[in-house]
Amino acid sequence: MANTQDNVMIRMEDIHKSYGDVEVLKGIDIEVHRGEVLAIIGPSGSGKSTLLRCINRLEDITSGLVEIEGGTLASTKGDGTVEYAKEEDSRKLLGCMGMVFQQFNLFPHMTVLENLLEAPVHVKKRAKEAVLPEAMALLKKVGLEDRADYYPAQLSGGQQQRVAIARALCMKPDIMLFDEPTSALDPELTGEVLRTMRELAAEHMTMVVVTHEMNFAREAASHVIFMADGVIVEQGEPQEFFAHPKEERTRAFLNNML
Amino acid sequence: MDKLMDTVVLMLQGSEVTLEIFCVTLVLALPLGILAALGRLSKLRVLSRFMEFYIWLMRGTPLMLQLLFVYFALPMIGIMLPDMAAALLAFTLNYAAYFAEIFRAGIQSVPRGQYEAAKTLGMTYPQTMRRIILPQVIRMVLPPVSNETINLVKDTSLIYILAMNDLLRVARTIVQREFDMTPFVVAAVFYLAMTAVLTWGFKKLEAHYGKYAR
Ligand SMILES: Nc1ncnc2c1ncn2[C@@H]1O[C@H](COP(=O)(O)OP(=O)(O)OP(=O)(O)O)[C@@H](O)[C@H]1O
Ligand SMILES: [Mg+2]
Repeated sequence: MANTQDNVMIRMEDIHKSYGDVEVLKGIDIEVHRGEVLAIIGPSGSGKSTLLRCINRLEDITSGLVEIEGGTLASTKGDGTVEYAKEEDSRKLLGCMGMVFQQFNLFPHMTVLENLLEAPVHVKKRAKEAVLPEAMALLKKVGLEDRADYYPAQLSGGQQQRVAIARALCMKPDIMLFDEPTSALDPELTGEVLRTMRELAAEHMTMVVVTHEMNFAREAASHVIFMADGVIVEQGEPQEFFAHPKEERTRAFLNNML
Repeated sequence: MDKLMDTVVLMLQGSEVTLEIFCVTLVLALPLGILAALGRLSKLRVLSRFMEFYIWLMRGTPLMLQLLFVYFALPMIGIMLPDMAAALLAFTLNYAAYFAEIFRAGIQSVPRGQYEAAKTLGMTYPQTMRRIILPQVIRMVLPPVSNETINLVKDTSLIYILAMNDLLRVARTIVQREFDMTPFVVAAVFYLAMTAVLTWGFKKLEAHYGKYAR
């Protein structure tokens, strides 16, 4: 909102992240514009999840710059230490983003509808009656309006993940982050989740998606990043990227996936 | 028959002391236990260490010794408490430590993803604890809490040594006076009845909190 001219929703510069002595991210730059779908692919352990989690501060960076919609979430000061935005600013920036996890992470003690209402009512302090129709509309959108009163344990994995997407959307985020949303699902259930995500992409939701689904990356993404060992090895438009990968590493990875 | 009625009436009075210790301890020790568990899990090392020490001390010494300490040793350093208050202090501190360990295990068994989901939805730490974590913890800790609670019923008899007229002491007094074993049997029935009520109550609670787990 702050940065409406160039519509940069996420800007990360020279991101480094270490766990103890192990450097997991070794200088990553990304820029995501409004309405873009960024797909991040790469072998296991390459740092994809870590990068995604640095965007919404589930992990703190070791050095670099993170900007969300033009507001600075984290920056590196002269002495090399990272400074995060103050509590209130931070809350506002992080509030622009919703996240969907590999393991769904629905609240098991709440019904589907309660999962959706929880944050709008208790974080945004909106009236339950006002949120209710929005929540039902979202459930309808993900095809689960008849499951509103079910508990997560009574749903299939694919249904749970669609609820998780609806729950994140119910906070009206500008950006959606997905960390391998279909990896915990049986193959026959991935389709329904990917369909929901494609619909979101078609509605120009800004999305960052870590995925092993090459078809999704090829067809729904506007930009693809291939990561290995904590660096971006190659990136580009999906057509070009998948048709003519330049790096040997990328070709080896893609051959393995297809 | 009259004698039995007299016995039962006397023992009902005794059971009042027992019940008071039981109820007050439970009401105080449960929330204290939650707070102690949160302290034990705190990132503040001082707090976490202090709670660890407190839990070790309470679980590492006999409750009987703790009762004697509060009752006889505290007055020596000028802290005089009424009998009931002294007993309640020892019981509460002791049981809070046991509950703390149960709650700590329960809190730690909630997957990290629950905290992360709450965080990405903008929930604060107190909100996350109150609305997301603790309801799940309660369900998980019900069986061990039920166990401890039933232990508490029987541990109340330890105040016997403080010469307070609880159920057991009343029973013994009558036994000695009348040279008749019946009061012991009546006492056993009292304890069993309390345990039965608790067992039933916890079963209901478990059913209530278990409804979402299919
Ligand atoms: N909390 C942590 N502490 C220490 N090391 C970690 C931690 N989280 C991740 N790592 C390490 O960082 C590296 C990158 O992990 P990350 O989860 O980002 O990989 P990934 O690309 O998402 O892999 P996958 O496809 O298997 O999900 C791995 O070597 C992992 O062992
Ligand atoms: Mg990952």
